[in-house]
Amino acid sequence: MTGLILKDLLVMRKTVRSYLIFLLLYALLAVFDIFPLSTVTAVTELIIMMLPLSAFSYDDLAKWDRYAAALPLGRRTLVGARYCFALLMAAAATLFCLLLSVLLSIVQGALLAESIVSLAVCLGYGILIADILLPLCYKLGVERARPYMYVVIFVPVLLFFGAYQLGLISSGTFAALEALPEAALLAGVGLAALLPLLGMGISYWVSCRIMEGKEF
Amino acid sequence: MTNAIEIRDLCKSYGDFSLRHINLTLPGGSIMGLIGENGAGKTTTIKCILNLIHRDGGEISLLGHDNLREETLAKQDVGVVLDECFFHDSLRPRDVGRILAPVFQNWDHELYGDYLDQFRLPANKLIKEFSRGMKMKLSLAAALAHHPRLLILDEATAGLDPLVRDEILDEFLAFIQDEDHAILISSHITSDLEKAADYITYLHQGQIVLSESKDVILDSYGRMACTAGQLEQIDRADLLRVRRGSFGCEGLVSDRAAFRRKYPDLLVEKTTLEDIMLFIGKGEAV
Repeated sequence: MTGLILKDLLVMRKTVRSYLIFLLLYALLAVFDIFPLSTVTAVTELIIMMLPLSAFSYDDLAKWDRYAAALPLGRRTLVGARYCFALLMAAAATLFCLLLSVLLSIVQGALLAESIVSLAVCLGYGILIADILLPLCYKLGVERARPYMYVVIFVPVLLFFGAYQLGLISSGTFAALEALPEAALLAGVGLAALLPLLGMGISYWVSCRIMEGKEF
Repeated sequence: MTNAIEIRDLCKSYGDFSLRHINLTLPGGSIMGLIGENGAGKTTTIKCILNLIHRDGGEISLLGHDNLREETLAKQDVGVVLDECFFHDSLRPRDVGRILAPVFQNWDHELYGDYLDQFRLPANKLIKEFSRGMKMKLSLAAALAHHPRLLILDEATAGLDPLVRDEILDEFLAFIQDEDHAILISSHITSDLEKAADYITYLHQGQIVLSESKDVILDSYGRMACTAGQLEQIDRADLLRVRRGSFGCEGLVSDRAAFRRKYPDLLVEKTTLEDIMLFIGKGEAV
């Protein structure tokens, strides 16, 4: 499995490098208070979680799956490696944002707890995207799964703004959230990150089922 | 000695094409050439062996291990070169070694480096800058660097120039010097198989129509030429296939010497694998 994860990293080293420069630029914008940290966190998680999907594109281009299926690994390992890669990317993005949060709490005196809350929610959302899109990529191929990617990413945002415009969500909603006991808020945030992580198990199982039925 | 490949009653149907009751044994220490026209079932057979597609029936064992129940074990000592190079353009040969090292228990970095040197493949050059010949040699180096006992090659030499093909064939012959090693190679280039193979299996429309030692085939099969009138005089049991042309008729015979004794007036000459393919593919059954 390590060979396959290494393969994804090596194939995308140029992409990873350019993403890293891009994210460092964003981090600088946050340090200079041009962008709020929560925006940088959301962009980081979103961009990094696109990498596992890009890995499918690169594999399709090289027809790698046919070769990989001929290796002594088994199809579950092939799927497992892709999920591990997604988790690795999520961990890397989280670490990056966490370090940035700590830096900003020192430099700007920003509230670390608040940054961690937004980080946990963004991490959960990033993993949720992977939970939904990875099985779709296995089932449909990355090109046909791409429209669903836009649905998964943008529909929640549109729903949120729609609800805000319709008055279903108002500033009072946020005030009510802030009024919640700290323990309840922490549990909610924890769940926002944990549930998609648990969902990854189901997503992996579905992807394995799809992969086992495939012919190369 | 354990057979390198044993296939029993393999069946696979795609609706418009069926692989029917394939039985095949590849003994250790030998090279088997799998020949047949496009769409005859060669690649389908190899895909079934490698468990790339789901078979409808039959059993396959690789080096004594069932290829489904013990897939990982069965493939551990198998090197595979398919009709394309599947390594990403953005990788380098050095990267390929790093990727495959954890995949194979017996991966040998030194041996891999030796093959790269032998095939004159720069370890740090991007694969996208390689020619087709270089890519296929890289695939072969990657297939050989874990000390496999069985090589499975699907049209691995197709589209390569004679020099590269010859270099690769030499490597196959060196590989087979160890009696524990075996090669299954599907190819359209019958001249390559005439040089290297010990056994020939001919697939036609999803069925094996011929599976025999290459020497037996080339020593005993023959091509008979005659007129349409002479053809009528020949016992049909003495001919395998017939081709009728405007200038005369040709027949494929399985025992050249016996045919010559029985029909001393008719011309029978040695045949080639390509002739046999043409007779079976385009000729009439008798």
